[in-house]
Amino acid sequence: MSRYQDRKERFPLAWIVPGVLLFLWQVSASLGWLPATILPAPSAVLAAGWALTLDGTLPANLGVSTLRALAGLVIGGGIGFGLGLLTGLSRISERLLDPTLQMVRNVPHLALIPMVIIWFGIEEEARLFLVALGVFFPIYLNTLHGIRNVDPQLIEMGRVYGMSPRRLFRRVILPGALPAILVGLRYALGIMWLTLIVAETIAAKSGIGHMAMAAREFMRTDVVVLSILIYALLGKLADSATKALERRFLRWNPAYRR
Amino acid sequence: MSKHKGAALTLSQVSKRFGETDVLHGVDLSIEPGSFVAIIGKSGCGKSTLLRVILGLEPASTGHVSSDSDAAHARLVFQEPRLLPWASVAANVAVGLGERGDGPEGVAAAREALADVGLAAKADDWPSTLSGGQRQRVALARALVSHPTLLALDEPLGALDALTRIEMQSLLENVWQAQGFTALLVTHDVGEAVALADRVLLIDAGRVALDQPIDLPRPRRRGDAAFAALEGAILERLLDAPASAEAR
Repeated sequence: MSRYQDRKERFPLAWIVPGVLLFLWQVSASLGWLPATILPAPSAVLAAGWALTLDGTLPANLGVSTLRALAGLVIGGGIGFGLGLLTGLSRISERLLDPTLQMVRNVPHLALIPMVIIWFGIEEEARLFLVALGVFFPIYLNTLHGIRNVDPQLIEMGRVYGMSPRRLFRRVILPGALPAILVGLRYALGIMWLTLIVAETIAAKSGIGHMAMAAREFMRTDVVVLSILIYALLGKLADSATKALERRFLRWNPAYRR
Repeated sequence: MSKHKGAALTLSQVSKRFGETDVLHGVDLSIEPGSFVAIIGKSGCGKSTLLRVILGLEPASTGHVSSDSDAAHARLVFQEPRLLPWASVAANVAVGLGERGDGPEGVAAAREALADVGLAAKADDWPSTLSGGQRQRVALARALVSHPTLLALDEPLGALDALTRIEMQSLLENVWQAQGFTALLVTHDVGEAVALADRVLLIDAGRVALDQPIDLPRPRRRGDAAFAALEGAILERLLDAPASAEAR
């Protein structure tokens, strides 16, 4: 128990290793052991970040990438959630749709990139399509799984206590499925960024991935590393957002209460 | 607390089959309004099925169940508390009110029902913070909040420890005496049946094998000679009954 109680005291301990690594990286870059063409110094990356923020390139690309990611998430996640509800609540829909969807799931969505470029070129639709397809499956699968795993005793209780189907869904099935749905969302957010990195790196005229590829042409490794770090940061941010959602909506669950 | 009338029930030639298996064979029964009836029997004797047929959760295969008024309003307490873990204790009790439970009156009624089971202070807590006995008391409050005329209990105390169980029995007796509903208690505990019921029905192989009135004065004491004699006689009768082959 006490290991958890002194969480605050342990906290700085976790920062020692990354701190030392960062320090070694900076020192080796400054002393010239590490050529800037291989790996630029952390200070150079920070400087690049500052310069690109000032000239507006970074905020513009960050905005474009975030918008793409969220639009893809809303479209693909929305369809996945809707179909997950449909197949979760109706056996006929499940038998009709689920086998096909499970089959399509085995196609790696990134393998479709050549087809997607043929269909959409390198326009916005291509990236939206890929992101939407990527986030669709984790949300679909976990929504279906969550609904199927709602305690049948609670559903029976709801029926015996006279709940209408609508009320049963709102009061019992949806809250019961929510933990699984949020797990799906967390997976989806990871896939969302990953898909966007690939899509923007291969075929885009803007966005963080495009910024990194353009910088590569001029050997601007500082900008490339900056782009990578920003992707990492965005991923962490998305993860923290889901954790916050879990703490908000799963307060009732002792496992999420802190 | 207002006194509510209990429902009277009449079962005539009620039978229930599941596929090839006969679970109930022509049960005839009439239950007095406001009485406390315990239904005992071995596992698989059909006692839970009888309860579910009476409540209308399972249709009878033949025969019918009738109640004295259309207004008869039944509630069931399960063996498990079956509380919604994502709803507060008060919101769980308000489930018993249906759509009416959503407004402020629903919350007030839920709090009142919680006070009746001695859990007023827990109204805003999550069910996961309660003990097993407290959860079952919340389930009882959820059943009582709508003032049923018939309260059916399907082995509601089976999962509780011995001490909590005795506390729950006296709580159950108190709310029954205060509210006047008809109580149908399915239990496998003969002592519990004798402690609470006006009448003990022993079900064996889908039939009423024994219909034993219990007219001991309340509150009943388990150490009592008359209590022990009745308990012993019923237990003996229960053990003598040939094991029924049918599944529940």
